[in-house]
Amino acid sequence: MIDISAFQEALGIMFSSVGSWGWIVPGLIIGLVFAAIPGISITMAMAIVLPMSLYMDFFSAIVFLTSVYTGAGFGGSVPAILMNIPGTPSSFATTFDGYAMSQKGEHNEALGYALFASTLCGIFGYVLLLLVLEPLADIVLRIGPLEMFAVAIWGMLLLGSLGSTYISRGLLAAALGILLGTVGMNTAGFTRGTLGIPQLLDGIAPIPAMIGLLAASQLLGLAGRDYIIEADGARDVSLRKILKGCWGTLKYPGVLLRGSVIGIVIGAVPGVGSSIGNLISYAETKRTAKDSASFGKGNPKGVIAAESAVASGEGGSMATMLALGIPGGGATAILIAAFMMHNIVPGPSFIETQKPMAYAIILNNMVQAVVLLVVGIGFIYAATNVMKVRTRYVLPAILVIATLGTYAVTGEVSGPITLFVFAMLGFALNRYQYPVPAVVVGILLGRMLETEFLRSYQLSAGHPLYILERPGAMAIFVIMFASLAMTAWGKRKQNRAEAAEARAMEKLRDEAAANAAHTTPSKG
Amino acid sequence: MTHFTRRDVFRMSAGGIAVASGMVAMPSILRAATYPSRPINVIVPFATGGYNDRLSRAFMPYLEQELGQPLVIVNKPGAGTQLGNSYALNQPADGYSILCTSAAPYIPLTVLLQNAPYKVDDFTMINLPSRDYTLAATSSGGPVKSFAEVIEKLKKDPSSLSIGVQPASADYANMVLAFQAAGIDPSKLRIVTYDGGGPARNATAGAQVDVGFVGGEGFLPLKSKIRPLAIFAAETVDWYPDAPLIGASGLKTDFVEGSQRGWAVTTKLKNEHPDIFKTLVMATEKASKNPKAIETLKLQELATTWYGPEASNKAYLDNAAKMAKYVDLLK
Repeated sequence: MIDISAFQEALGIMFSSVGSWGWIVPGLIIGLVFAAIPGISITMAMAIVLPMSLYMDFFSAIVFLTSVYTGAGFGGSVPAILMNIPGTPSSFATTFDGYAMSQKGEHNEALGYALFASTLCGIFGYVLLLLVLEPLADIVLRIGPLEMFAVAIWGMLLLGSLGSTYISRGLLAAALGILLGTVGMNTAGFTRGTLGIPQLLDGIAPIPAMIGLLAASQLLGLAGRDYIIEADGARDVSLRKILKGCWGTLKYPGVLLRGSVIGIVIGAVPGVGSSIGNLISYAETKRTAKDSASFGKGNPKGVIAAESAVASGEGGSMATMLALGIPGGGATAILIAAFMMHNIVPGPSFIETQKPMAYAIILNNMVQAVVLLVVGIGFIYAATNVMKVRTRYVLPAILVIATLGTYAVTGEVSGPITLFVFAMLGFALNRYQYPVPAVVVGILLGRMLETEFLRSYQLSAGHPLYILERPGAMAIFVIMFASLAMTAWGKRKQNRAEAAEARAMEKLRDEAAANAAHTTPSKG
Repeated sequence: MTHFTRRDVFRMSAGGIAVASGMVAMPSILRAATYPSRPINVIVPFATGGYNDRLSRAFMPYLEQELGQPLVIVNKPGAGTQLGNSYALNQPADGYSILCTSAAPYIPLTVLLQNAPYKVDDFTMINLPSRDYTLAATSSGGPVKSFAEVIEKLKKDPSSLSIGVQPASADYANMVLAFQAAGIDPSKLRIVTYDGGGPARNATAGAQVDVGFVGGEGFLPLKSKIRPLAIFAAETVDWYPDAPLIGASGLKTDFVEGSQRGWAVTTKLKNEHPDIFKTLVMATEKASKNPKAIETLKLQELATTWYGPEASNKAYLDNAAKMAKYVDLLK
C-alpha cells in the first residue's frame, strides 16, 4: 500500500520543481496533434520528441514525455469520431459508436464523452497505480501464456458483437484477419506467408493495414458527399454541446469503472498494450448493456467504454515500467529509454531506492489528466471545424497525411504499399458486405492468439489438464463463460418479458377493441 | 513529424551531394582531407529504446566531438536487422553512413537462416565494446538451485522442467550444445519459444518457465528477481561476477558468444577509402577512451571498452564461423 513519508517527499518534489509543470501543456498539445494524425502512433510521437527531452533535467523530461503520452491517448479518438479513422490502434473501438454519433450530428457530444472518460479514467488509473504499485508488478510477472490466451479469446468475442447481415461472412472476415495477423515469423521461428518479401518477416504492419482497411472504404463513401455530415444544421461546433457530453459521462459510472479495470490490467501486461484493452472493454460493455442493440449505432456508452480503457491502460503500463523496468508497450519502451538516458534505470531497485520520485511521476500524471480536460476542450473545438470544410478539400488532405503517416511507421515505401493493398481489400470487403472491423480485430489479435496458444501447448507438452495448474487462467475462463451465460440468460428473460408484455398489450388492445365495438352502436 | 521530414531532406540532399561528387570525380585524397564535411548517419537496425539505440545516443556526443560533425541516428528496425543491414549496404560507401548494431548474432543469423542478400564479411567492425553471453537462470523463488541440478533432473526425465528460449538464437545453440554434452536428448525437452529476449526474461523472472536461456545483460534490471545458474562465458564476466561459469558446472561444452554489439561500417568503405576508415577508427578510439564518456556510459550500464578493429573483427568472424558450424542446431 501507499508509503506515507515517501508520498510527502513526492509532494515536495512536485512543488519544488514547479518549473517542470510548464512542460505539461506543450506535451499534451504535441500528443494530441500527433495522435490525431492517422498513422502517427503514440510510440512514434514519443520517439520524435525523445531527443528534445535529453536537454531537460530528469523530472522535466519525464513530465514532458508522459504529457505527450497522456495527450496522445486521447488525441487518437478525434479522427476516430469525426471520420471513422482511428488516429492510433488504441482508439479503434471508439470508431464503432463515435462515428455513428457524428453521423447523427452529435460529434460535439461524442468528443465530450470521449474526453471526459479519458480524463476521469486516466486519473482513476493513476490513483489505483499509486495504491498497488508494487503488488501489481509482481502479479503481472505471474501472468503466463495460458492467461494471455484466455484474454485473446475474450477479445475475439468482440466479433460476435460487431454484427453483420450475414454471420457466415462475418466469420470468414475474422478468419481472414487472423490469417493476415499470423503472416511472418512466428514465435517458434517458422515463417509463413511472406511471399519471400523480407519486409513481411515481422508480419504485416498493423497501422498501415488498419488505416487502409478503414479509411479507404470511408473515404470512398465520403467522396460522393459535399460535407462529412450532410445536414446543414448538424455541422455546428458548440462548446455547450461538448460540455454536455462531458457532463453526460458521469451518468455511466459502471461503464467507466469496468473500462478502467480492464484497461489497467491489460495495459499492465508486458507486450499487450492498450490496443486490445479498448476492444475488450467495448465488447463487455455492449454485452452487459440492456440496450445492446443500439451499440454501433451511436450509443455514448460505446465511446465511454473504449476511451476509459485506453486512458487507464496508460496507468497500468506505467506500473509495469516503473516497478519492473519492463515496457508494457511501445510508449513505455521510449519512456524507459528516456530514464536510461538520464542515468536512471527503472525496475525493482528504482522503486526501493527512489520511491518518492516514482510517486511524484504518478502524481504529476494525475495533474496532466486534469490539464488535459482544459487543453482537450480547446483542441476538440478546433478539430471539429473540420466538419465545416467541404469533403473535396478534406479528403485529399487526409489521404496525403495518412500516406505520409504510414511511410513514417515503416520508414520506407512498404508502409504506403501496405496502405494501398489494404485499401483495395477494404473496398472489396465493403462492396461484398463483409464486415471490415472483423478483419481489423483479427489482424490485431491473430498474432497474440497464435503465440500464446503455442506457448501454452509447449509448456503443457500437450496435456489439457495443465489448465488446472493455472488458477488465473481458470478464473478468466470462468468469468468469461459466466458473463456469456448471464448475458444469454438476461437476454432470454428480457425476450420473455417483452413477449409477455406484447401479449398483454395485444390482449388489452383486443379488449379495448371489443369494448369499442360493443359501445359504439349504443353511442350511435 | 518535423524531425522525420527534416531527416528525409537530409538524406535526399546527401544523395544529391554524393551524385554530384561522383560526377566531379574528386580525387579521394582530397575528399578524405575534407571528411567529414557534413552530418553522418548512424544506422541502428533496431527500434528506439533497445541497447544499440541507447548506446548510439549516449556515445553520440563524444563521437561528434572527435569527428567535428553532428551525428543523426536513423532507426531501421525489422526482420532481425536484415532491413537495416540492407539499407546500410545500399548507401554510398562515402563514410556518411555508419552502423551501431548487434553484429553478432544478427548478421550471421540473417545470412544463415534468412538467406539475406549479403555476406558476413560485407561488414567490417570498428569496435565491439559490448559482449553479452547466454545466461541460464531461474526465478529467484524457484526450487532449482544450480545448473548441475538442472542436468540431473533432466537426465531422469527430460520433460520435468520447462525451458524458455528464443529459437534460432545463440542462446538456443548454447542450450542444445550443453544438453547434448550432458547426454540429454534435446528433442524430448519441454521447450517454450519466445520471440525476443525481453519476453523470455519476463517468463523466467515470473516463473512461467523453470529455466530460461537468454542474453545475460538484459537481466541486470531484474537481477533481484532471478537466480543465475550458469553463464556461457570462458572467464568471469565483469558486469555479472556472481553468475557461475558454465565450466564450473562440470560440463564440457562448446558455446557461441551471445551478442557482440558496437560500431561497424561496410567492407566496401574500408576497401575503397581506407583513409576514411582510419579517420572513423581513430575518432571512435579517442571517444571510447574519453574518461567522461566512460563515466557517463557506465552509469547507464553501457560498454565503452576499446578492443580495436582487428580484435573486434576477429571476434566477429570467429563467432560467425562457429555459428555456421552449428547452423543445424539453429534451425
